[in-house]
Amino acid sequence: MAYKKLFGISQRRAFKRLVVNNRERLYRMAYAWTSDPHLADDLVQQTLLKALSNQKQLREFAAAEGWLFRILANCLTDYRRAKREFLSGDNLEIVDKTTPEHQAGEQQLVQKVREAVQKLPINHCQVITLVDLEEFSYASVAQILDIPVGTVMSRLCRGRRALRDHLTDIKPREMPRPAVNIKRVK
Amino acid sequence: MNKDDHISEEQLNAFVDGELDSEEKTQLFGAAEQSAELDQRLCQQRKLKELVKHAYRDVPEPGRRLTKHRTPNSMLGMAIAASMLLFLGITTGLLIPRVFDQDPNPGGLASTTNPQAIAAMENYILHVVSGDPAQMKRALQQAKELLSTAEPGKPRQVEVVANEQGLDLLRSDVTPFAEEISALASEQVIFYACSRAIERLEEKGVEVKLVPQAVPGYTALDRVVERLQDDWQYVKI
Repeated sequence: MAYKKLFGISQRRAFKRLVVNNRERLYRMAYAWTSDPHLADDLVQQTLLKALSNQKQLREFAAAEGWLFRILANCLTDYRRAKREFLSGDNLEIVDKTTPEHQAGEQQLVQKVREAVQKLPINHCQVITLVDLEEFSYASVAQILDIPVGTVMSRLCRGRRALRDHLTDIKPREMPRPAVNIKRVK
Repeated sequence: MNKDDHISEEQLNAFVDGELDSEEKTQLFGAAEQSAELDQRLCQQRKLKELVKHAYRDVPEPGRRLTKHRTPNSMLGMAIAASMLLFLGITTGLLIPRVFDQDPNPGGLASTTNPQAIAAMENYILHVVSGDPAQMKRALQQAKELLSTAEPGKPRQVEVVANEQGLDLLRSDVTPFAEEISALASEQVIFYACSRAIERLEEKGVEVKLVPQAVPGYTALDRVVERLQDDWQYVKI
């Protein structure tokens, strides 16, 4: 489909809406990848501004969400390359440590999982979070990260294995509570 | 597929991630029924997935910090910007829908030299990200051109938002274009200095001094998105 036809005025408005509406999702993903609220916010800003200025690159509107996450992944790669930092690993500090006392147990679990996720190599962390948080298909993750589907599967496998090892000490009582508040089940 | 060891970890993952087709799912369910160990492995994979989801359900807010006063005239700048917007809002009769499909990429700027195309466009936000003086100059020229090609009686609103290295455009001790900025500001071009970019420089120990015409307090993204929602044209330079 020709670009102009694809991006008529209504489509362009839809595109802007898409960009605006995805801000929160992108931020959550960026946070999962970096554990740094400020850095995550910076990455999302870069991502959305790049998306806005490069919307011509988008050929299929249906693929827009994956395209945004792909830009986010590229922004993180650029950042890491520029900083020559290795965000995952033992030296990583989880920034979000303010925990109200009454939520201590819940927060402890959340922190433990986040720390385990952040200990993963970034490419494993990205695959796991894209699949688990955003429910992207393996094919979509392959496109977002520009890797073969087989690589997605193997990274997922190794990543989850490592996560499981990190989280073996989680007791049943620390698990998210049974779904007493479930309102709807698919 | 009756034995646990026939099921690979990849298959288990594909199952919990909804990547298996109906037939494969049926096979795996059947195998799990016959193997308590496999059943447990499936539960573990599901639990792991749920744990990750749960851990990022609520993430901390970005926690934006407000920028400090960086110029003696920053409040004045905000007031001037507000009054300009009010004035322009009144004189232009709110916002006029766009009718020209312009390429927002820098390369697309060449199209704005077409007087017919320019006449059909309305309000613009120019986004400067480069610290290259040639690009800064280009942005200022573009702003000037946009003002001069507005239809009589329909003043065009132009804003310039600077972030990343482009912030140098609005730093009083760095910019080579203080006079041009002042001249354009007198023609009602509003200059925004990205609060995030300012923060980043300050975190590095750089004291950021802005030209008096620069308005701080917005992030580049917030300003751009706001204007896009108002149906302005966005041009990255």
